[in-house]
Amino acid sequence: MGASVNETTETAFEPLLQFDMEMEIFLSDWQHCDHVSSYLARMISHNRTDPVRHSNFFSSALNELLEVSFRGGTTDGKIGLSIYRQGGTERVQLSFPCPPGQARFYREAVSKTRESDAQARYLDAISNDLAPSRESVLLDLAVNYDARLRLDEREAPAITLIVDLPLEGMVS
Amino acid sequence: MITAGLTQRFKVAFDPNSQIFSLAGTIRPRSIDEIAESIHALREAIDAVRGVLYIDVKRLIQMNNTAFQAFIRVALDACRERSDLRLIIITSSVVGWTTRMFRHLSTIEPQISVEVYDSMFYPGQSFVEDTSFIPILRAQTKMTWRHERTILPRHGMRPGIAMADICCGIGDFAVLAQKEFQPARIVALDHSRASLAYARTVAADFGVTGIEYTFGDASEMLLEDNQFDFVTCRHSLQIFNQPELLLKELYRIVKPGGRVYITNEKNSHCLGEPRAQSIQWTYNELARLLSHFEMDVELGPKSRRYLADAGFDDILVESFMVTNLDGDPQDFADVIAGWEKMFAAMATRHGETPEFIDRFRQGFRDHIFAALHPKGYAGWPIWAASGRKPL
Repeated sequence: MGASVNETTETAFEPLLQFDMEMEIFLSDWQHCDHVSSYLARMISHNRTDPVRHSNFFSSALNELLEVSFRGGTTDGKIGLSIYRQGGTERVQLSFPCPPGQARFYREAVSKTRESDAQARYLDAISNDLAPSRESVLLDLAVNYDARLRLDEREAPAITLIVDLPLEGMVS
Repeated sequence: MITAGLTQRFKVAFDPNSQIFSLAGTIRPRSIDEIAESIHALREAIDAVRGVLYIDVKRLIQMNNTAFQAFIRVALDACRERSDLRLIIITSSVVGWTTRMFRHLSTIEPQISVEVYDSMFYPGQSFVEDTSFIPILRAQTKMTWRHERTILPRHGMRPGIAMADICCGIGDFAVLAQKEFQPARIVALDHSRASLAYARTVAADFGVTGIEYTFGDASEMLLEDNQFDFVTCRHSLQIFNQPELLLKELYRIVKPGGRVYITNEKNSHCLGEPRAQSIQWTYNELARLLSHFEMDVELGPKSRRYLADAGFDDILVESFMVTNLDGDPQDFADVIAGWEKMFAAMATRHGETPEFIDRFRQGFRDHIFAALHPKGYAGWPIWAASGRKPL
Protein backbone atom coordinates (compact mmCIF):
# COMPACT_ATOMS: atom_id res chain seq x y z
CA MET A 1 0.00 0.00 0.00
CA GLY A 2 1.36 3.42 -0.75
CA ALA A 3 0.24 7.03 -1.08
CA SER A 4 2.13 9.76 -2.82
CA VAL A 5 1.55 13.05 -4.55
CA ASN A 6 0.77 12.48 -8.19
CA GLU A 7 2.82 14.72 -10.45
CA THR A 8 0.54 14.08 -13.41
CA THR A 9 -1.05 17.27 -14.62
CA GLU A 10 -4.73 17.22 -15.48
CA THR A 11 -6.13 20.25 -17.22
CA ALA A 12 -7.92 22.45 -14.73
CA PHE A 13 -8.01 19.70 -12.12
CA GLU A 14 -5.40 19.94 -9.38
CA PRO A 15 -3.94 16.59 -8.28
CA LEU A 16 -4.45 15.88 -4.59
CA LEU A 17 -3.18 12.36 -4.09
CA GLN A 18 -2.61 9.00 -5.67
CA PHE A 19 -2.99 5.66 -3.99
CA ASP A 20 -2.27 2.23 -5.32
CA MET A 21 -2.33 -1.30 -3.98
CA GLU A 22 -1.89 -4.82 -5.30
CA MET A 23 -5.35 -6.15 -6.15
CA GLU A 24 -4.58 -9.42 -4.43
CA ILE A 25 -3.98 -7.58 -1.18
CA PHE A 26 -6.96 -5.28 -1.69
CA LEU A 27 -9.29 -8.22 -2.30
CA SER A 28 -8.01 -10.06 0.78
CA ASP A 29 -10.13 -8.01 3.17
CA TRP A 30 -13.51 -6.35 2.62
CA GLN A 31 -12.67 -3.79 5.29
CA HIS A 32 -10.09 -2.22 2.95
CA CYS A 33 -12.97 -0.41 1.21
CA ASP A 34 -14.09 1.19 4.48
CA HIS A 35 -10.60 1.95 5.75
CA VAL A 36 -9.27 3.42 2.51
CA SER A 37 -12.36 5.53 1.85
CA SER A 38 -12.44 6.91 5.40
CA TYR A 39 -8.72 7.67 5.51
CA LEU A 40 -8.45 9.28 2.10
CA ALA A 41 -11.66 11.26 2.64
CA ARG A 42 -10.19 12.80 5.79
CA MET A 43 -6.96 13.66 3.97
CA ILE A 44 -8.53 15.44 1.03
CA SER A 45 -11.27 17.19 3.06
CA HIS A 46 -9.08 18.96 5.59
CA ASN A 47 -9.19 22.29 3.72
CA ARG A 48 -12.83 22.17 2.66
CA THR A 49 -15.24 24.65 4.24
CA ASP A 50 -16.67 22.00 6.55
CA PRO A 51 -13.97 19.30 6.65
CA VAL A 52 -15.82 16.88 8.91
CA ARG A 53 -19.03 16.79 6.91
CA HIS A 54 -17.24 16.86 3.56
CA SER A 55 -15.15 13.91 4.66
CA ASN A 56 -18.25 11.98 5.71
CA PHE A 57 -19.99 12.66 2.39
CA PHE A 58 -16.93 11.93 0.28
CA SER A 59 -16.16 8.72 2.16
CA SER A 60 -19.68 7.53 1.50
CA ALA A 61 -19.29 7.97 -2.27
CA LEU A 62 -15.73 6.67 -2.45
CA ASN A 63 -16.60 3.57 -0.46
CA GLU A 64 -19.27 2.66 -3.00
CA LEU A 65 -16.75 2.96 -5.83
CA LEU A 66 -14.23 0.83 -3.97
CA GLU A 67 -16.91 -1.77 -3.28
CA VAL A 68 -17.67 -1.86 -7.02
CA SER A 69 -14.00 -2.59 -7.73
CA PHE A 70 -13.91 -5.16 -4.91
CA ARG A 71 -16.90 -7.04 -6.28
CA GLY A 72 -15.90 -6.75 -9.94
CA GLY A 73 -12.10 -6.80 -9.88
CA THR A 74 -9.61 -9.60 -10.50
CA THR A 75 -6.47 -10.39 -8.52
CA ASP A 76 -3.90 -9.68 -11.23
CA GLY A 77 -2.52 -6.16 -11.28
CA LYS A 78 -3.12 -3.13 -9.11
CA ILE A 79 -5.96 -0.96 -8.03
CA GLY A 80 -5.09 2.70 -8.60
CA LEU A 81 -6.93 5.62 -7.12
CA SER A 82 -6.22 9.26 -7.96
CA ILE A 83 -8.10 12.23 -6.58
CA TYR A 84 -8.10 15.68 -8.16
CA ARG A 85 -9.87 18.92 -7.36
CA GLN A 86 -11.35 21.76 -9.34
CA GLY A 87 -13.29 24.34 -7.35
CA GLY A 88 -16.07 22.60 -5.48
CA THR A 89 -15.60 19.29 -7.28
CA GLU A 90 -13.39 16.31 -6.57
CA ARG A 91 -12.55 13.96 -9.39
CA VAL A 92 -11.95 10.32 -8.50
CA GLN A 93 -10.14 8.13 -11.02
CA LEU A 94 -10.37 4.50 -10.00
CA SER A 95 -8.53 1.90 -12.10
CA PHE A 96 -8.73 -1.82 -11.51
CA PRO A 97 -8.33 -5.01 -13.56
CA CYS A 98 -11.55 -6.77 -14.39
CA PRO A 99 -12.44 -9.95 -16.29
CA PRO A 100 -12.61 -9.86 -20.09
CA GLY A 101 -16.03 -8.80 -21.28
CA GLN A 102 -16.77 -6.76 -18.16
CA ALA A 103 -15.73 -3.52 -19.81
CA ARG A 104 -18.88 -3.60 -21.89
CA PHE A 105 -20.99 -4.01 -18.76
CA TYR A 106 -19.35 -0.97 -17.16
CA ARG A 107 -19.62 1.01 -20.40
CA GLU A 108 -23.37 0.47 -20.45
CA ALA A 109 -23.81 1.03 -16.71
CA VAL A 110 -21.90 4.32 -16.85
CA SER A 111 -23.84 5.37 -19.92
CA LYS A 112 -27.14 4.81 -18.09
CA THR A 113 -26.10 7.20 -15.33
CA ARG A 114 -26.09 10.03 -17.89
CA GLU A 115 -29.45 9.31 -19.40
CA SER A 116 -32.59 11.28 -18.58
CA ASP A 117 -34.26 8.29 -16.93
CA ALA A 118 -31.40 7.69 -14.47
CA GLN A 119 -33.52 8.59 -11.46
CA ALA A 120 -36.41 6.40 -12.60
CA ARG A 121 -34.01 3.48 -13.08
CA TYR A 122 -32.55 4.08 -9.63
CA LEU A 123 -35.97 4.22 -7.96
CA ASP A 124 -36.97 1.06 -9.75
CA ALA A 125 -33.83 -0.70 -8.54
CA ILE A 126 -34.22 0.25 -4.90
CA SER A 127 -37.96 -0.49 -5.03
CA ASN A 128 -37.60 -4.03 -6.26
CA ASP A 129 -34.11 -5.44 -5.81
CA LEU A 130 -33.06 -7.31 -2.70
CA ALA A 131 -29.42 -6.35 -3.08
CA PRO A 132 -27.79 -3.57 -5.05
CA SER A 133 -26.27 -4.33 -8.43
CA ARG A 134 -23.12 -2.56 -9.57
CA GLU A 135 -25.34 -0.68 -12.01
CA SER A 136 -27.62 0.62 -9.25
CA VAL A 137 -24.59 1.68 -7.19
CA LEU A 138 -23.39 3.83 -10.08
CA LEU A 139 -26.93 5.23 -10.45
CA ASP A 140 -26.89 6.00 -6.73
CA LEU A 141 -23.77 8.11 -7.23
CA ALA A 142 -25.39 10.00 -10.10
CA VAL A 143 -28.72 10.56 -8.33
CA ASN A 144 -27.71 11.11 -4.71
CA TYR A 145 -24.27 12.68 -5.12
CA ASP A 146 -24.90 14.55 -8.40
CA ALA A 147 -21.88 12.67 -9.75
CA ARG A 148 -20.92 12.68 -13.41
CA LEU A 149 -19.36 9.42 -14.48
CA ARG A 150 -17.38 8.25 -17.48
CA LEU A 151 -15.24 5.28 -18.36
CA ASP A 152 -11.70 5.07 -19.70
CA GLU A 153 -10.79 1.76 -21.30
CA ARG A 154 -7.35 2.67 -22.66
CA GLU A 155 -5.49 0.49 -20.11
CA ALA A 156 -7.40 -2.75 -20.88
CA PRO A 157 -7.92 -5.21 -19.33
CA ALA A 158 -8.05 -2.64 -16.54
CA ILE A 159 -10.83 -0.09 -16.63
CA THR A 160 -10.87 3.39 -15.13
CA LEU A 161 -13.99 4.91 -13.67
CA ILE A 162 -13.79 8.70 -13.68
CA VAL A 163 -16.26 10.23 -11.28
CA ASP A 164 -16.73 13.95 -10.62
CA LEU A 165 -18.28 14.64 -7.22
CA PRO A 166 -19.48 18.22 -6.60
CA LEU A 167 -19.86 17.68 -2.87
CA GLU A 168 -18.55 21.00 -1.53
CA GLY A 169 -21.66 22.84 -2.67
CA MET A 170 -23.91 20.15 -1.25
CA VAL A 171 -22.22 20.13 2.15
CA SER A 172 -21.89 23.87 2.60
CA MET B 1 -30.12 -3.47 21.67
CA ILE B 2 -27.92 -5.23 19.15
CA THR B 3 -24.30 -4.18 19.12
CA ALA B 4 -22.34 -5.47 16.18
CA GLY B 5 -18.82 -6.84 16.38
CA LEU B 6 -15.57 -5.20 15.45
CA THR B 7 -16.11 -5.48 11.71
CA GLN B 8 -19.44 -3.62 11.80
CA ARG B 9 -19.35 -0.60 14.06
CA PHE B 10 -23.03 0.05 14.50
CA LYS B 11 -25.88 -0.21 16.93
CA VAL B 12 -29.48 -1.13 16.38
CA ALA B 13 -32.11 -0.47 19.04
CA PHE B 14 -35.87 -0.54 19.36
CA ASP B 15 -37.81 1.37 21.98
CA PRO B 16 -41.33 -0.11 22.00
CA ASN B 17 -42.69 2.63 24.26
CA SER B 18 -41.93 5.43 21.83
CA GLN B 19 -42.03 3.13 18.79
CA ILE B 20 -38.59 4.23 17.66
CA PHE B 21 -36.23 1.92 15.81
CA SER B 22 -32.77 3.46 15.60
CA LEU B 23 -29.71 2.73 13.51
CA ALA B 24 -26.40 4.33 14.50
CA GLY B 25 -22.77 4.11 13.49
CA THR B 26 -21.16 2.70 10.35
CA ILE B 27 -22.87 -0.16 8.50
CA ARG B 28 -20.86 -1.37 5.53
CA PRO B 29 -21.39 -5.13 5.23
CA ARG B 30 -20.16 -7.22 2.33
CA SER B 31 -23.37 -9.23 2.30
CA ILE B 32 -26.82 -9.08 3.84
CA ASP B 33 -25.98 -12.14 5.94
CA GLU B 34 -23.66 -10.02 8.09
CA ILE B 35 -26.58 -7.82 9.18
CA ALA B 36 -29.27 -10.52 9.25
CA GLU B 37 -29.84 -10.05 12.97
CA SER B 38 -30.41 -6.32 12.55
CA ILE B 39 -32.75 -6.84 9.60
CA HIS B 40 -34.69 -9.29 11.72
CA ALA B 41 -34.85 -6.71 14.52
CA LEU B 42 -36.47 -4.21 12.15
CA ARG B 43 -39.04 -6.81 11.08
CA GLU B 44 -39.83 -7.53 14.73
CA ALA B 45 -40.13 -3.83 15.51
CA ILE B 46 -42.59 -3.38 12.64
CA ASP B 47 -44.61 -6.35 13.86
CA ALA B 48 -44.67 -4.91 17.37
CA VAL B 49 -46.08 -1.48 16.52
CA ARG B 50 -49.51 -0.19 15.64
CA GLY B 51 -49.77 3.02 13.64
CA VAL B 52 -46.45 4.81 13.32
CA LEU B 53 -42.92 3.45 13.56
CA TYR B 54 -40.17 6.04 13.69
CA ILE B 55 -36.93 4.92 12.07
CA ASP B 56 -34.23 7.14 13.51
CA VAL B 57 -31.08 7.37 11.37
CA LYS B 58 -29.82 10.67 12.82
CA ARG B 59 -26.70 8.96 14.13
CA LEU B 60 -26.14 6.82 11.09
CA ILE B 61 -22.65 7.89 10.04
CA GLN B 62 -22.16 5.55 7.10
CA MET B 63 -24.29 2.92 5.39
CA ASN B 64 -23.42 1.23 2.11
CA ASN B 65 -25.92 0.33 -0.57
CA THR B 66 -25.96 -3.31 0.52
CA ALA B 67 -27.27 -2.36 3.96
CA PHE B 68 -29.48 0.46 2.65
CA GLN B 69 -31.30 -1.77 0.25
CA ALA B 70 -31.68 -4.58 2.78
CA PHE B 71 -33.27 -2.30 5.37
CA ILE B 72 -35.55 -0.47 2.96
CA ARG B 73 -36.66 -3.80 1.47
CA VAL B 74 -38.12 -4.69 4.87
CA ALA B 75 -39.75 -1.26 5.19
CA LEU B 76 -41.28 -1.32 1.70
CA ASP B 77 -42.55 -4.89 2.03
CA ALA B 78 -44.14 -4.07 5.38
CA CYS B 79 -45.99 -1.09 3.91
CA ARG B 80 -47.28 -3.22 1.07
CA GLU B 81 -48.55 -5.83 3.52
CA ARG B 82 -50.05 -3.45 6.09
CA SER B 83 -52.16 -0.49 5.05
CA ASP B 84 -52.38 0.69 8.70
CA LEU B 85 -48.63 1.17 8.97
CA ARG B 86 -46.85 4.52 8.67
CA LEU B 87 -43.10 4.80 8.73
CA ILE B 88 -41.43 8.10 9.56
CA ILE B 89 -37.71 8.16 8.83
CA ILE B 90 -35.79 10.79 10.75
CA THR B 91 -32.56 11.88 9.09
CA SER B 92 -30.10 14.54 10.17
CA SER B 93 -29.17 17.67 8.26
CA VAL B 94 -25.64 17.12 9.59
CA VAL B 95 -25.13 13.88 7.66
CA GLY B 96 -25.63 15.03 4.10
CA TRP B 97 -25.99 11.73 2.28
CA THR B 98 -28.69 10.26 4.54
CA THR B 99 -31.38 12.75 3.59
CA ARG B 100 -30.51 12.45 -0.09
CA MET B 101 -30.72 8.66 -0.03
CA PHE B 102 -33.74 8.18 2.19
CA ARG B 103 -35.83 10.97 0.61
CA HIS B 104 -36.72 8.67 -2.30
CA LEU B 105 -38.69 6.37 -0.06
CA SER B 106 -41.57 8.81 0.25
CA THR B 107 -41.73 8.94 -3.56
CA ILE B 108 -41.81 5.16 -3.83
CA GLU B 109 -44.18 4.50 -0.93
CA PRO B 110 -46.83 7.01 0.30
CA GLN B 111 -46.92 5.33 3.71
CA ILE B 112 -43.32 6.44 4.30
CA SER B 113 -42.34 10.01 5.09
CA VAL B 114 -38.90 11.45 5.68
CA GLU B 115 -38.28 14.20 8.22
CA VAL B 116 -35.01 16.09 8.51
CA TYR B 117 -33.88 16.80 12.05
CA ASP B 118 -32.38 20.25 11.67
CA SER B 119 -33.33 23.05 13.99
CA MET B 120 -34.37 23.01 17.64
CA PHE B 121 -31.55 20.88 18.91
CA TYR B 122 -32.56 22.16 22.35
CA PRO B 123 -35.50 24.23 23.70
CA GLY B 124 -33.81 27.65 24.06
CA GLN B 125 -31.92 27.52 20.77
CA SER B 126 -33.82 30.23 18.91
CA PHE B 127 -32.91 32.83 21.55
CA VAL B 128 -29.27 31.85 21.83
CA GLU B 129 -28.78 31.85 18.05
CA ASP B 130 -30.22 35.32 17.48
CA THR B 131 -27.53 36.92 15.32
CA SER B 132 -28.08 40.32 16.94
CA PHE B 133 -26.46 38.72 19.99
CA ILE B 134 -23.11 38.26 18.19
CA PRO B 135 -21.48 41.49 19.48
CA ILE B 136 -22.40 40.45 23.03
CA LEU B 137 -20.87 37.01 22.52
CA ARG B 138 -17.67 38.63 21.28
CA ALA B 139 -17.54 40.95 24.29
CA GLN B 140 -18.15 38.01 26.66
CA THR B 141 -15.27 36.02 25.17
CA LYS B 142 -13.01 39.08 25.36
CA MET B 143 -13.77 39.41 29.08
CA THR B 144 -13.51 35.73 29.99
CA TRP B 145 -10.33 35.24 27.92
CA ARG B 146 -8.39 37.52 30.29
CA HIS B 147 -8.93 34.83 32.93
CA GLU B 148 -9.02 31.68 30.84
CA ARG B 149 -5.69 32.23 29.10
CA THR B 150 -3.99 31.63 32.45
CA ILE B 151 -6.45 28.97 33.60
CA LEU B 152 -6.38 26.76 30.49
CA PRO B 153 -2.80 25.40 30.85
CA ARG B 154 -3.70 24.06 34.30
CA HIS B 155 -6.43 22.01 32.65
CA GLY B 156 -4.34 20.54 29.85
CA MET B 157 -4.06 23.16 27.13
CA ARG B 158 -0.58 23.18 25.58
CA PRO B 159 1.05 23.68 22.17
CA GLY B 160 0.95 20.92 19.59
CA ILE B 161 -2.17 19.14 20.79
CA ALA B 162 -5.28 18.12 18.86
CA MET B 163 -8.13 20.21 20.23
CA ALA B 164 -11.88 20.43 19.68
CA ASP B 165 -14.08 23.34 20.69
CA ILE B 166 -17.60 21.98 20.87
CA CYS B 167 -20.46 24.51 20.76
CA CYS B 168 -17.92 27.01 19.44
CA GLY B 169 -20.52 29.67 18.66
CA ILE B 170 -18.95 32.45 16.61
CA GLY B 171 -15.54 30.78 16.86
CA ASP B 172 -13.68 33.56 18.63
CA PHE B 173 -12.45 31.33 21.46
CA ALA B 174 -10.93 28.93 18.92
CA VAL B 175 -9.08 31.82 17.25
CA LEU B 176 -7.75 33.08 20.59
CA ALA B 177 -6.72 29.54 21.59
CA GLN B 178 -4.89 29.05 18.32
CA LYS B 179 -3.00 32.33 18.63
CA GLU B 180 -2.06 31.81 22.27
CA PHE B 181 -1.33 28.08 22.42
CA GLN B 182 -0.69 26.94 18.83
CA PRO B 183 -2.42 23.56 18.98
CA ALA B 184 -1.59 21.31 16.01
CA ARG B 185 -5.25 20.94 15.10
CA ILE B 186 -8.50 22.67 16.07
CA VAL B 187 -11.93 21.41 15.15
CA ALA B 188 -14.68 23.89 16.09
CA LEU B 189 -18.25 22.59 15.99
CA ASP B 190 -21.55 24.37 16.37
CA HIS B 191 -25.20 23.83 15.45
CA SER B 192 -25.73 27.38 14.21
CA ARG B 193 -25.01 27.88 10.52
CA ALA B 194 -25.18 31.67 11.02
CA SER B 195 -22.55 31.55 13.78
CA LEU B 196 -20.28 29.32 11.70
CA ALA B 197 -20.62 31.60 8.68
CA TYR B 198 -19.60 34.51 10.90
CA ALA B 199 -16.71 32.48 12.31
CA ARG B 200 -15.40 31.58 8.86
CA THR B 201 -15.64 35.20 7.72
CA VAL B 202 -13.78 36.49 10.77
CA ALA B 203 -11.09 33.82 10.37
CA ALA B 204 -10.65 34.72 6.69
CA ASP B 205 -10.58 38.46 7.41
CA PHE B 206 -7.84 37.98 9.99
CA GLY B 207 -5.89 35.51 7.89
CA VAL B 208 -6.46 32.73 10.42
CA THR B 209 -6.20 29.32 8.82
CA GLY B 210 -6.21 25.81 10.18
CA ILE B 211 -9.41 25.91 12.23
CA GLU B 212 -11.84 23.30 10.93
CA TYR B 213 -15.28 24.79 11.49
CA THR B 214 -18.02 22.20 11.20
CA PHE B 215 -21.79 22.14 11.48
CA GLY B 216 -23.04 19.53 13.88
CA ASP B 217 -25.22 18.52 16.78
CA ALA B 218 -23.04 18.38 19.89
CA SER B 219 -25.09 15.54 21.32
CA GLU B 220 -24.61 13.41 18.20
CA MET B 221 -21.34 14.33 16.54
CA LEU B 222 -19.78 12.91 13.39
CA LEU B 223 -16.35 13.14 15.03
CA GLU B 224 -14.69 9.80 15.65
CA ASP B 225 -13.87 8.29 19.04
CA ASN B 226 -10.65 9.08 20.94
CA GLN B 227 -9.42 11.82 18.58
CA PHE B 228 -8.54 14.82 20.72
CA ASP B 229 -6.09 15.62 23.52
CA PHE B 230 -8.22 18.48 24.78
CA VAL B 231 -11.91 19.20 24.28
CA THR B 232 -13.50 22.46 25.37
CA CYS B 233 -17.20 23.14 25.78
CA ARG B 234 -17.83 26.58 27.19
CA HIS B 235 -21.12 28.00 28.52
CA SER B 236 -23.06 25.28 26.78
CA LEU B 237 -23.92 22.47 29.18
CA GLN B 238 -25.96 25.06 31.07
CA ILE B 239 -28.19 25.93 28.13
CA PHE B 240 -28.63 22.39 26.83
CA ASN B 241 -31.56 20.44 28.22
CA GLN B 242 -29.61 17.18 28.43
CA PRO B 243 -26.09 18.09 29.64
CA GLU B 244 -25.27 14.46 30.48
CA LEU B 245 -25.86 13.53 26.82
CA LEU B 246 -23.48 16.20 25.68
CA LEU B 247 -20.84 15.12 28.21
CA LYS B 248 -21.13 11.56 26.96
CA GLU B 249 -20.18 12.77 23.49
CA LEU B 250 -17.30 14.90 24.82
CA TYR B 251 -16.05 11.82 26.67
CA ARG B 252 -16.31 9.75 23.51
CA ILE B 253 -14.20 12.03 21.30
CA VAL B 254 -11.41 12.81 23.79
CA LYS B 255 -8.44 10.45 23.87
CA PRO B 256 -7.83 8.28 26.94
CA GLY B 257 -5.63 10.45 29.14
CA GLY B 258 -6.93 13.61 27.47
CA ARG B 259 -9.06 16.19 29.20
CA VAL B 260 -12.47 17.80 28.72
CA TYR B 261 -12.73 21.41 29.87
CA ILE B 262 -16.11 23.01 30.58
CA THR B 263 -17.18 26.42 31.80
CA ASN B 264 -20.57 27.26 33.25
CA GLU B 265 -22.20 29.94 35.33
CA LYS B 266 -24.24 30.28 38.46
CA ASN B 267 -26.33 33.25 37.41
CA SER B 268 -27.89 33.85 40.80
CA HIS B 269 -24.39 34.71 42.05
CA CYS B 270 -24.01 37.67 39.71
CA LEU B 271 -23.52 40.66 41.94
CA GLY B 272 -23.00 44.38 42.12
CA GLU B 273 -22.68 47.34 44.41
CA PRO B 274 -24.46 49.70 44.73
CA ARG B 275 -28.05 48.50 44.23
CA ALA B 276 -27.16 44.97 45.28
CA GLN B 277 -30.70 43.91 46.23
CA SER B 278 -32.26 44.79 42.89
CA ILE B 279 -29.43 43.03 41.06
CA GLN B 280 -29.74 39.95 43.25
CA TRP B 281 -33.51 39.74 42.72
CA THR B 282 -33.20 39.88 38.94
CA TYR B 283 -30.54 37.19 38.69
CA ASN B 284 -32.46 34.89 41.04
CA GLU B 285 -35.50 35.37 38.80
CA LEU B 286 -33.35 34.82 35.73
CA ALA B 287 -32.30 31.38 36.94
CA ARG B 288 -35.94 30.54 37.61
CA LEU B 289 -37.08 31.88 34.22
CA LEU B 290 -34.48 29.94 32.25
CA SER B 291 -35.39 26.70 34.01
CA HIS B 292 -38.70 26.99 32.16
CA PHE B 293 -36.69 26.77 28.94
CA GLU B 294 -34.88 23.70 30.32
CA MET B 295 -31.68 25.65 30.89
CA ASP B 296 -29.75 25.31 34.13
CA VAL B 297 -27.73 28.50 34.46
CA GLU B 298 -26.91 27.46 38.03
CA LEU B 299 -24.85 24.55 36.72
CA GLY B 300 -21.35 25.92 37.44
CA PRO B 301 -20.79 24.41 40.91
CA LYS B 302 -22.39 21.15 39.73
CA SER B 303 -19.58 20.67 37.19
CA ARG B 304 -17.66 18.29 39.44
CA ARG B 305 -20.66 15.98 39.79
CA TYR B 306 -21.47 16.04 36.09
CA LEU B 307 -17.86 15.22 35.14
CA ALA B 308 -17.66 12.42 37.70
CA ASP B 309 -20.97 10.92 36.58
CA ALA B 310 -19.74 10.98 32.97
CA GLY B 311 -16.75 8.81 33.94
CA PHE B 312 -13.94 11.37 34.16
CA ASP B 313 -11.25 11.23 36.83
CA ASP B 314 -8.65 13.71 38.10
CA ILE B 315 -11.34 16.39 38.13
CA LEU B 316 -10.22 19.98 38.62
CA VAL B 317 -12.66 22.77 39.46
CA GLU B 318 -11.99 26.45 39.92
CA SER B 319 -13.98 29.64 39.64
CA PHE B 320 -13.23 33.13 38.50
CA MET B 321 -15.10 36.41 38.57
CA VAL B 322 -15.36 38.59 35.49
CA THR B 323 -15.70 42.14 36.78
CA ASN B 324 -16.03 45.70 35.62
CA LEU B 325 -12.44 46.28 36.79
CA ASP B 326 -10.93 43.73 34.37
CA GLY B 327 -10.78 46.13 31.47
CA ASP B 328 -13.07 48.77 30.07
CA PRO B 329 -16.19 48.86 32.32
CA GLN B 330 -18.22 49.73 29.23
CA ASP B 331 -17.55 46.21 27.87
CA PHE B 332 -19.12 44.77 31.00
CA ALA B 333 -22.06 47.19 30.70
CA ASP B 334 -22.58 46.28 27.03
CA VAL B 335 -22.78 42.60 27.87
CA ILE B 336 -25.36 43.21 30.59
CA ALA B 337 -27.38 45.39 28.20
CA GLY B 338 -27.41 42.49 25.75
CA TRP B 339 -28.57 40.12 28.47
CA GLU B 340 -31.37 42.51 29.42
CA LYS B 341 -32.66 42.53 25.85
CA MET B 342 -32.46 38.76 25.34
CA PHE B 343 -33.79 37.70 28.73
CA ALA B 344 -36.63 40.25 28.69
CA ALA B 345 -37.72 38.71 25.39
CA MET B 346 -37.66 35.28 27.00
CA ALA B 347 -39.69 36.57 29.97
CA THR B 348 -42.26 37.95 27.56
CA ARG B 349 -42.36 34.64 25.70
CA HIS B 350 -42.92 32.88 29.02
CA GLY B 351 -45.91 35.12 29.73
CA GLU B 352 -44.56 37.19 32.60
CA THR B 353 -46.54 40.32 33.52
CA PRO B 354 -45.42 43.80 32.39
CA GLU B 355 -44.80 44.66 36.07
CA PHE B 356 -42.50 41.68 36.45
CA ILE B 357 -40.65 42.52 33.26
CA ASP B 358 -40.12 46.14 34.36
CA ARG B 359 -38.62 45.03 37.67
CA PHE B 360 -36.67 42.27 35.92
CA ARG B 361 -35.14 44.77 33.48
CA GLN B 362 -34.35 47.18 36.32
CA GLY B 363 -32.00 44.65 37.92
CA PHE B 364 -29.91 44.49 34.73
CA ARG B 365 -29.91 48.29 34.53
CA ASP B 366 -28.73 48.47 38.15
CA HIS B 367 -25.98 45.98 37.30
CA ILE B 368 -24.89 48.35 34.51
CA PHE B 369 -25.12 51.27 36.93
CA ALA B 370 -22.82 49.43 39.34
CA ALA B 371 -20.40 48.56 36.54
CA LEU B 372 -20.08 52.15 35.37
CA HIS B 373 -20.19 53.79 38.82
CA PRO B 374 -16.80 55.33 39.68
CA LYS B 375 -16.82 53.50 43.02
CA GLY B 376 -18.97 50.56 41.89
CA TYR B 377 -18.20 46.88 41.51
CA ALA B 378 -20.00 44.42 39.27
CA GLY B 379 -19.28 40.73 38.94
CA TRP B 380 -20.16 37.71 36.82
CA PRO B 381 -18.89 34.42 38.33
CA ILE B 382 -17.88 31.46 36.17
CA TRP B 383 -16.83 27.93 37.06
CA ALA B 384 -14.10 26.29 34.98
CA ALA B 385 -13.73 22.55 35.39
CA SER B 386 -12.03 19.69 33.63
CA GLY B 387 -11.77 15.95 33.92
CA ARG B 388 -9.45 13.32 32.47
CA LYS B 389 -10.71 10.36 30.48
CA PRO B 390 -9.17 7.33 32.20
CA LEU B 391 -6.42 5.49 30.33
